[in-house]
Amino acid sequence: MRKLLVAVAAAALALTACGSGDTSSGGTATITFWDNNGGPARQPIYEELIKRFEAANPDIKVEYVGIPSASVQQKYDTAIVGGETPDVGGVTTSYLAHLVGQDALAPLDDRISGGPLKDKLLPSLVETVRQTAPDNKLYIVPSSANMDLIWYRTDWFKDAGLEPPKTWDEFITAATKLTDTAANKYGYTIRGGAGSVFQLITEAYAYSGVDSFFKDGKSTLNDKANAELVDKVADLYKKATPEADVNNSFTQMIAQFTGGSVAMMHHNLGSYGDVTKALGDKVAAIPLPVGPSGKRTVVPNPTDGFAVFKNSENPDAAWKFAEFLTSAESNSYWNEKVGQIPANTDVRSEAWIESNAHVKMALGVLEDPATVLVPAPVYLPQYSSITKTDSEPQYQKVLLGELTGQQFLDEMAKKLTEAQKEWEDRK
Amino acid sequence: MRTRTWAPYALIAPTLVLMAVFLVYPIGSVVYYSLQRYNVTQPWKNGFAGLDNFKQMLFDDPLFWQSLAFSAKWVFVEVGLQLLLGLILALIVNETFIGRGMARALVFSPWAVSGVLTTGIWILLLNPSTGIFQELSKLGIGTPGTSVLGNPDTVFDALVVTELWRGVPFFAILLLADLQSIPKDLYEAASVDGASRWRRFTSVTLPHLKDAIILSTLLRAVWEFNNVDLIYTLTGGGPANQTTTLPLYVARQAVDSHNFGYGSALTIAGFLILLFFSILYLRVSKFGSRA
Repeated sequence: MRKLLVAVAAAALALTACGSGDTSSGGTATITFWDNNGGPARQPIYEELIKRFEAANPDIKVEYVGIPSASVQQKYDTAIVGGETPDVGGVTTSYLAHLVGQDALAPLDDRISGGPLKDKLLPSLVETVRQTAPDNKLYIVPSSANMDLIWYRTDWFKDAGLEPPKTWDEFITAATKLTDTAANKYGYTIRGGAGSVFQLITEAYAYSGVDSFFKDGKSTLNDKANAELVDKVADLYKKATPEADVNNSFTQMIAQFTGGSVAMMHHNLGSYGDVTKALGDKVAAIPLPVGPSGKRTVVPNPTDGFAVFKNSENPDAAWKFAEFLTSAESNSYWNEKVGQIPANTDVRSEAWIESNAHVKMALGVLEDPATVLVPAPVYLPQYSSITKTDSEPQYQKVLLGELTGQQFLDEMAKKLTEAQKEWEDRK
Repeated sequence: MRTRTWAPYALIAPTLVLMAVFLVYPIGSVVYYSLQRYNVTQPWKNGFAGLDNFKQMLFDDPLFWQSLAFSAKWVFVEVGLQLLLGLILALIVNETFIGRGMARALVFSPWAVSGVLTTGIWILLLNPSTGIFQELSKLGIGTPGTSVLGNPDTVFDALVVTELWRGVPFFAILLLADLQSIPKDLYEAASVDGASRWRRFTSVTLPHLKDAIILSTLLRAVWEFNNVDLIYTLTGGGPANQTTTLPLYVARQAVDSHNFGYGSALTIAGFLILLFFSILYLRVSKFGSRA
């Protein structure tokens, strides 16, 4: 049955993705590249980079395939079952462990340390990538980092005579003050639907100052201070946020912000294009506020990078392309266009970073020696099902007042502790 | 004579092949996977699970029962209201009046709109800051920012209305077609016998519509049970699982959590429930037999 399924899937893929991965005549290698966040924004950036690459390497042809980020994990799964994976693919650490678990990727440690990228990649990103794999190997070459932040309306704050908040208490005061429900104006918007808990976790650790996700094998997620933050945010629901927030996924959340009915929104550098296009200079970013401890604890966003797939018929050409994409020039070009933090340290001195306030702010936080990174255990195979499938509806219960923050976090922490134990045992 | 022995088989062969490919194989593979542990995030655990998935579903998964109960409520309310309103609409546009053609076209138009578009329209209509409730609040009705889909007290009613908009025309079309096949002389004979309008409806119209009603309610019940698109796009099963139907729960387990083994077991449960009630319904209603 399994074999038959594989055969059918393979046949279907062969029909749709005809010719991928073939070596055509004349000694030219053709490699397939999957963009894991395909769309009108990123495709032209990659097309330009591919053009540059092909000009420098006339014996390698790159076929670009853009995959929407929402379905990319599924596409990779199908491709792995059907044996039709690309040669190079964009992969973030949020599903890296998942692909490594299916034995789909080739480790890149030797290739990185034996080439021009040696010592040129942000150590914190390299470490994050390593931690994601059970054998501590590098299965992607990190290319870009993202960071959670609060986008806020500079004009609203100015009109109300408020300073952008530095602590969570200031944040809550500002959110409450900027709300005028009769005028359809709200201080904040909560992401209550798909993707809610990922964001909530970063908020909780930013507030609590708890500096590691596990202590003695037990999840610190249900720390009292974390629960305090959850309750504080839930208290804002309907008082300083739209009622519709309970079902908000990213699309609805950002529509409320760019539509002009909300003063502050928690997201990350990834929405830079959307918010500046809609609001121009009326929007700016601040790091997530800190809690009573005053410590800056940051749960890093998934790291973006490029993987070479094990099934590749041209692994050398594939690596050449991945390496090219991460080179100082390409990495600079890509991150400047997208507005994210470049992984290649040679890019740091470039002029565009100085003029991009958001990236500079994010870099400042990451470079500050006082900042403590608290990576979430995205390497756990159950991480997504625990924090998304199981927990997102439970968080909605918290917002609706049917569950306390502590009960909610206790439940999630218990599952994460079990998953972590299983992970340690398997190592 | 020899040709007669193989000809019928040759003629039905394409159908049989298509059914095997599109029905038998998919159902067979779902049955197979329901007996497996099959989760792509943890491939090292994959293997034969026996009835474990079903045990978990029946004894250790409150969400299964909750989503099943919601599905039952959803099907019952939706199909009942759609039948009632569809029948009324069909009777109205079956009468002769000026502008009947226009009225018929209007009644059927929601059915012609694609599902994606329907939900798109309703998302905009129910949008708290730009939709109908915002406009109403400007007139002093209700409070601004009312989100009927975010409020556990109103979300069910909002979904019911939305799905009614799309489902009522289905009944109206089917019942109107059948209404037009009722011979006029039956009504004339009834009138001559002194039957009132109501009596003509219960004694002539309804018995004639019986098979159409049985078939359309059955079809619709199966569709509503399996309805995913509308609820998924409007609420995603929320808030807090309040509108999670069984198929939505399957999607969450299989697609989001990659737990295909358990998702298959849930699908089998839905399949058996539908099969059982379909057979029961056709038996009890004596479908196809003229009273």
